[in-house]
Amino acid sequence: MNMSLMVLLLTPFTGGILSYLGGKIHRSVRYTFAILFSSLTLVELFFYYNKPVNHFVLGKMFGSVMILQINPISWLFAFIVTTISLLAIIFSVNDMEGRGGLDFYYFELMVVEGAMLGITLAGDLLTFFLFWEIMSWTSYLLIIQGGNKSIKAGYKYIIMSIIGANSMLIAIAMIYGKIHTLVFRNVAMLLAASPHGFDIAIFVLFAIGFFVEAAVMPLHTWVSDAYSEAPSSVSSVLSGVLEKIGAYGLFVLLYALFGVSLLGKLMPLRFPSPTIMYTIGWFAGISIVVSTFLAILQEDAKKLLAYSSISQIGYVVLGISIGTSLGVAGGLFHALNHAIFKSLLFFTIGAVIYRTGTRNLSELGGLIKKMPVTFTGTLFGIIALAGVPPLNGFVSKWMIYEALLQKKEVFLLILALIGSTGSFLYVYRLIHSTFLGQLPEKFKDVKEVPFLMQIPIWLLSLGTIVFGIWPGLAMNVIARGEKFFGITPIKYNLYGFPGGNGMGSLKMINISSVFIAGLIVAYIIFALGAKTHRISQYDNYAAGQVVTKDTKYNYSYGFYMFFGRVVNPVFKWSADKIYLAWARSANVFGDYMRRIYTGNLETYSSYIVVIISLVGFLILLGGKIW
Amino acid sequence: MVKNILIAIGLPLLAFGIGISFMGFKRKIGARIQRRYGPPFHQPLLDIIKLLSKKSDISHGIIYDLGPMIALGASILTIFFIPIPGLKLLTGSADVIALLYIMVIGSLGMGLGAGESANPNSSIGIARALTLMFGYDLPFVIVIISVLLKYHTTNLYAITQAQAGGHWAMWVLPLSAIVGFIVIYGAMGEHPFDVVTAPHEVATGPMAEYGGKHLGLLFIDHAFHVYIELALFVDLFMGGASNIGWFYVKMFVLFLIIVFFDEVLPRFRIDDAVRFYWRWPTIIALTSLIIVLIGG
Amino acid sequence: MEKMTEQQFRTIGNMLRKRSLWMLHYCTGCGSMELPAVGTSRYDMERFGVVPYITPRQADILLVTGYVNTKTLRRIVTVYEQMLDPKYVVGFGSCPINGGVYWDSYAVIKQLDRYIPVDLYIAGCMPRPEAIITGFMHLMELIDKGKATGYKRYKENLEYYKENQRKVLE
Repeated sequence: MNMSLMVLLLTPFTGGILSYLGGKIHRSVRYTFAILFSSLTLVELFFYYNKPVNHFVLGKMFGSVMILQINPISWLFAFIVTTISLLAIIFSVNDMEGRGGLDFYYFELMVVEGAMLGITLAGDLLTFFLFWEIMSWTSYLLIIQGGNKSIKAGYKYIIMSIIGANSMLIAIAMIYGKIHTLVFRNVAMLLAASPHGFDIAIFVLFAIGFFVEAAVMPLHTWVSDAYSEAPSSVSSVLSGVLEKIGAYGLFVLLYALFGVSLLGKLMPLRFPSPTIMYTIGWFAGISIVVSTFLAILQEDAKKLLAYSSISQIGYVVLGISIGTSLGVAGGLFHALNHAIFKSLLFFTIGAVIYRTGTRNLSELGGLIKKMPVTFTGTLFGIIALAGVPPLNGFVSKWMIYEALLQKKEVFLLILALIGSTGSFLYVYRLIHSTFLGQLPEKFKDVKEVPFLMQIPIWLLSLGTIVFGIWPGLAMNVIARGEKFFGITPIKYNLYGFPGGNGMGSLKMINISSVFIAGLIVAYIIFALGAKTHRISQYDNYAAGQVVTKDTKYNYSYGFYMFFGRVVNPVFKWSADKIYLAWARSANVFGDYMRRIYTGNLETYSSYIVVIISLVGFLILLGGKIW
Repeated sequence: MVKNILIAIGLPLLAFGIGISFMGFKRKIGARIQRRYGPPFHQPLLDIIKLLSKKSDISHGIIYDLGPMIALGASILTIFFIPIPGLKLLTGSADVIALLYIMVIGSLGMGLGAGESANPNSSIGIARALTLMFGYDLPFVIVIISVLLKYHTTNLYAITQAQAGGHWAMWVLPLSAIVGFIVIYGAMGEHPFDVVTAPHEVATGPMAEYGGKHLGLLFIDHAFHVYIELALFVDLFMGGASNIGWFYVKMFVLFLIIVFFDEVLPRFRIDDAVRFYWRWPTIIALTSLIIVLIGG
Repeated sequence: MEKMTEQQFRTIGNMLRKRSLWMLHYCTGCGSMELPAVGTSRYDMERFGVVPYITPRQADILLVTGYVNTKTLRRIVTVYEQMLDPKYVVGFGSCPINGGVYWDSYAVIKQLDRYIPVDLYIAGCMPRPEAIITGFMHLMELIDKGKATGYKRYKENLEYYKENQRKVLE
């Protein structure tokens, strides 16, 4: 029994090694091992559903014990990690077919899974940091599998990731220098007893690391390139899971290491919540709105989803940063929901790319008739993403809104609501430009994706419905987790929330059943009317003009061009441009530095002469130049 | 139980009746403003019967058929969350914030259907509809938040109850009410915000390819839509009503003002409509919100 | 008995249907100049439920306002086929009847009902708004009596119409 957490952690790593070796024999062996071991991880994880483990000693390093633990919150995140990774592995069987280095690809995929699992299970900062580094590096290796452009994107990612990790390392070193142990509980005690300046420094250093990984503005710039250039299944792991790990880190930082009461003492209380959390909330709120606006104007399907990820993770961080029971529950629930629907969308767009070879929205169109399953998946995904009932995204967003209203943080609430409305625009653009409208002649022979690629789409679509109509299923875990961290959980039941204490009530089953009843009424009226007959897409209204195959009769390029006219003036500058300017000036500086080293001995000796004479001159002046 | 069944059947009929009567009023009043005699009062009903009894119909695909059905189904869903005099309905299952999102299911369905009709006019229409919605949503959420903060509840029925005895939110929060009116006005797509269906630009937009029973469903949906927007405003700002007659009268007065504006105004360009909403209505709504925040 | 009720049902349907006629907003020739007068305050055709609508899917009446040259005929046929049953065609002015002043033109068709079935002609060059409104009233009467069956004729004699169309258009 006592070895079991170790077994859980080692399963994906073992699977990775085995599938790497198995791939040398035959590719089916590779797939079998990868799928088998990742499903095994999921099964093993379910043994811990109701069984928290507090203290499992992994070993000792630098005089600090390395501890594994599992509590309901880490269970939740571990569940996200294992599920999405398993589905990504299933999806990439067909998706990655025919590319080189697949053995290594599966090895990396499973190592990333293991590393992320390790982060969620970590009980001390050392373990946490070790797995964090493994995760950053392997995910970098995964991103650069996507072709030429992805190398540059991966470069951007790894630089930002290293900056984040290093700032965490400094914080860890500062803590280690004081108490020589890095177990969460001891660290929390240290922080409670330390001067406020030290605490704030630690907090900021950690937050930089987590912000980079969770892609919160202004440290989000790697996301749009990395997500869009990486292979589709990797994008869904990156967006579905890796971002959540950043959010998990933030949760651990806020609630396991610091705690709300300590955060409240750090800075004078001016706002409804502690100033630090309030600041994080504002970062998240600005993330939500700005990236929503950016997503609306994208022409590239995966870039659109990437910006949407930044916006949605904003909700998670916003929820966590509110600090009330309802807000935290909403944030964590949204992390789960976002993992479900965003991975779903990356899978379906991956399926479209797999069949058509393009992710340029204005080239696609009309695929609904060719790929109905993918369309259905996308439909569920976008409804959930837009936060429209009765699917899951709505419930968690609603909880966040209610939490903000409860705390009277009205301006953040406005940002959150606006971000949600804005998301209708880009999700509609996504589904319209790929699946609706006219089918271009060149995609006449496109077929539905193979069955293995449909599995993740089906399962995740089911997930959006299940967690939408029965939010109690997820709230069960979240409420236990909140209790574990000393927060009184809110009242909930299987179908929603009974409300009270300034919070409205919600009953999802009523909404969905009345909606279905309304649909039935509409269907009866519809069925009573005349019979319909199918017509071709070219038999269309064109003011009397006959539409033929060689005329492009579709509206898809620059879908929200008029909206762009409204907002473009604001988007002339961006954080990315600032970073790139820094990078350029670093380059220029490095170039001048390089010129000093000419490699010529005479130049070097003349440097020495000049410096010595300068020093001598200074001494002659009596050390007084100013 | 019997009462519940009666409500379940009666409310959609009531809402449809109110909506369709307003559609009739609109055509009649519009005609009188233009010094015409105008169509008979029941003309919208005749139109719907005609559309539903067309003898042939086309289909561009399953979602094309489902689009109007989702729109109508969502409208029927929505009316159960807007309290009418004396009845809470389902307001306990979803509060005002949830209602904001229940109200968009219909537009999403309509958008999907119009998208599958593969007509660029429809696509442009939907793109405009969503952009316009983004435009008026900013002032609208601010207004909603001010009302929720003022009455310390998110339950629409409780808000209506709190305004009983003539303490309408319209008098308590006049600035919010003005902005709320402008938003409802835009949401109903009247001039100058009729960019979505603008017949001379995008050939009735989302409805370009719809005809026959599909269009009939959309007309029924429109009747519900008129009811929803007006009832929401009456519940939020005009204190609901004590009986259904007063409810109708209040809605009628509101509608009359809307029609008077609608008949004499030209049309905005879509980006100008968004700019308009993000300028004065937003500023006024924010002012009102700050007053609520400070004044409690 | 059953037949009777069906007949009555159809009659009621026609009675209601005739009060809501949507006219396709599609102008082929000079006759469209008269329509603003008919639509606006002076003559007000909306009194009878006649409203201009934009796309053929929504419309019931195809109003061929004036001469139809061969180029326009292709559009008219497309539009007519896109309209949903029951649909009615109204020939407007003298040109659709016999070519009018274009009786000897090589590019204008002389008799519209050789190409699509016409339910009603409104004669005159130009017909006055009163004539147009009377025309609509006549059409309503025809619909009421179940005599405006142009769309059925088109289906039954599709070969004939297609043949004639082909002669001109190809």
